[in-house]
Amino acid sequence: MSSSLLIVGEGLTGLFSAVLAARKGASVRLIAEGRGGLSLSHGCVDVWRQGDSKSSFRRAGRNHPLFGLSSAALEPALLEFLQLMQEAHLPYAGDLDRVLRLPTALGSVHRTSAAPITLAAGTLDDHAPFHLGQIGGMRDCWAGLAAFGLRSRGVDVVGTIELPIPERARDVYAHDLALSLEDPSYRDSVCADWTRRLKGVRRLGLPAVLGQDHSIEVFTAIEERLRVSLFEIPTLPPSLPGLRLERALRRLAVEAGVEVIEGPAVRGEVDGRSAGKRVSGVVGTTAGGPRVFRSQAVLLATGGGLHGGWISFANGEVQDSVFGLPLDAPEDRDRWTAPTLFEAQPYARFGLRVDPQQRPCDARGRPYFENLFAAGGILAGADRSSEGCRQGLGLASAYAAVQGALS
Amino acid sequence: MTASLAFFDSDLCVKCNICTAACPVAAVTDRFPGPKAVGPQMARFRMPNHPSVDPSVAWCSGCGVCSRVCPHGVPVAEMNIMAKAETHVGPIQSLRDWGLSRPAEVARWSRPVRPLANAALRSGLLRAAADRLLGLASGAPLPEVAPEAFHRRRADLVRRVPERPSGDRGTRVAFFHGCSTDGYEPWLGEMTIRVLQRLGIDVEIPPQRCCGLPLQSNRDFEAARRYARANLANLHPWAERGIPIVGTSTSCTLALKHEYRAVLGLSGPEVEAVSESTFDFFEFLDQVLQDRLADFDPVPVQRRVLYHPPCQLRSHRVGTPALRILRQIPGLEVIVSRAECCGVAGTYGLKSERYDVAVKAGGDLFAQARQAAPDFLLTDSETCRWWIERHTRVPARHPLEILAESLGLENLRPTAGGD
Repeated sequence: MSSSLLIVGEGLTGLFSAVLAARKGASVRLIAEGRGGLSLSHGCVDVWRQGDSKSSFRRAGRNHPLFGLSSAALEPALLEFLQLMQEAHLPYAGDLDRVLRLPTALGSVHRTSAAPITLAAGTLDDHAPFHLGQIGGMRDCWAGLAAFGLRSRGVDVVGTIELPIPERARDVYAHDLALSLEDPSYRDSVCADWTRRLKGVRRLGLPAVLGQDHSIEVFTAIEERLRVSLFEIPTLPPSLPGLRLERALRRLAVEAGVEVIEGPAVRGEVDGRSAGKRVSGVVGTTAGGPRVFRSQAVLLATGGGLHGGWISFANGEVQDSVFGLPLDAPEDRDRWTAPTLFEAQPYARFGLRVDPQQRPCDARGRPYFENLFAAGGILAGADRSSEGCRQGLGLASAYAAVQGALS
Repeated sequence: MTASLAFFDSDLCVKCNICTAACPVAAVTDRFPGPKAVGPQMARFRMPNHPSVDPSVAWCSGCGVCSRVCPHGVPVAEMNIMAKAETHVGPIQSLRDWGLSRPAEVARWSRPVRPLANAALRSGLLRAAADRLLGLASGAPLPEVAPEAFHRRRADLVRRVPERPSGDRGTRVAFFHGCSTDGYEPWLGEMTIRVLQRLGIDVEIPPQRCCGLPLQSNRDFEAARRYARANLANLHPWAERGIPIVGTSTSCTLALKHEYRAVLGLSGPEVEAVSESTFDFFEFLDQVLQDRLADFDPVPVQRRVLYHPPCQLRSHRVGTPALRILRQIPGLEVIVSRAECCGVAGTYGLKSERYDVAVKAGGDLFAQARQAAPDFLLTDSETCRWWIERHTRVPARHPLEILAESLGLENLRPTAGGD
């Protein structure tokens, strides 16, 4: 039983693990070389793109990390997540029994299991036709493009509407608008103008800019003021739904007593007194050189190869980037990638194999260390992007790893 | 040479905007396009030592959040500080910045006329005049100069080189007190010594000058390098013997660890040794003295405090060691700040043209402080402490003062109005 846990990585998996572990009474530190990619993401929880039921991802087979996690961890993890978000005033809608189909800024359809209610209101299963709003001056979400794509998929987009905002001194990001809209007087002045332009509009999709930390209040206030049913569509980064989720989780973590150490790149440290059986923590590159961060257990939530979780060398070896544990990869590098960019990539499945307690292990299932755990994108066998299982895998494996580390 | 870092590392930027979303200045003013836009994005249009093509970089407060949150290792803040040094500044602002960046000299020169100088700081009329004529914000808190400099008061501990070891290794530190303790808050230096001595540590005070950070922030890299080289020469004898250099002003310790190398471009064994021997006060306690702290039976401190880790402390990349120690004090209820920065960022918020933006940047923290209504706000940097107290009316303290209380030591902070 460990009472201290060091988590490496500040994405969804790392932050969710940190909250869970701290709430179970562990002393938790989260260390990360920069923040994870949540603020680049849509903020929804994708569990399995193709399936409409919790059992469908079983078709992925025994080697898929969700296969073993599905029964014991996935459901409680999602429930825990939904409760946390409720508590953080960022309520989500969704469950494992059906799939939400949501419009994207590119005009495609995003199939997901749970979404912030401000996004979920845009479900395409509600067949009420809608308009899309183009907020003036904002480059990162173009209503015309979204409408074109959605119409080509048979979605009834009535039209697009220009919604101007007062001129600003520079290009506006979604984030700028979100902060401005938290100011009631700014909100009132733009809504006064928008109301006139929305005559006859009953349902309206807007880029996700309706508030940062107070999105529900902002959303509700604007909806009441405009007298339309609103929904939000995630934009290019900074993407508010992902940013809101990151900020909510970090706030919950800090309130639960987690110490967040941002900045250092880390290397794993093996406990020499344990005959190589245990890890003792990590060495981090701080402003004053290397410093040791010790802990009774370490959880790798470092993400996949594109997120820094593993690195490859010229000789074809692939290793996890913290402890240098070997990953399976074909010797022939040509087999790492698919012939074209927009298809499933073999390298996406590279990662660490884990035992039932989520400890990285060798091909015969023997853990490398007694107290080293892994969760999320660093796990082998999943192609999170083409399978659409990124957040589901992160939450479920985080849940299992925290149980493993603290039991 | 100083530009090389920025030039190469800007290619690491993938334009993900994680820094933009975290920047406390871009969040409150459109005049700052954000760290990515003025940094890695604009770097390709800059020539070393040429004026910056886009003056908007001058809105960067230098808080360092962007570098810390970057997942690709881009030194965004460092690039922007360098670019800012090449921006044009008018003669009046230059004069003001000359003074703001020399806190040690200001203390030394005003000490002989101390009653007058301190009365001037309290005079609304004179402060309003300074605001209009010199660009020194009238709402900015400025410290009163102390009757005697700390290094004179504790001349008994000043050493030119470390003394021969008196006890076992590792029981001695070199105290880098910084200008604020030396000129304005010598009582804090005295308390530091008492806390360290209570924990069985011998304290020596090496000869030292201002760390140079205010000069660097105010574009005078040449003067900052002169100060830095003097400090390196003075501190190296301690670093070389493996004696930790400990400071209670988190921006000074950051300068010794990081800015000399990463911004001022100094290199060589002296700067490496000093950097790696330097600890912020609570980092030292946490990394080196945890066992001794555990031996103490702390006096309960029945208070509710809001702890704000300064942006400069977070740039040390060691987390929040003060929080780890504060949480061991029985009776103490600790709330943690949600803000990235209090806004002042050293001397940034003291300038009339930046003042409103700096106040807005601290808005989240001020709101949290008012809402939580703690007995004290704790923070490891003096400028943050003065600034937050001014804007929230919550008494702000160095966390060391609370630790001293739990170790049964007297608080030497002068009562308001007295010395």
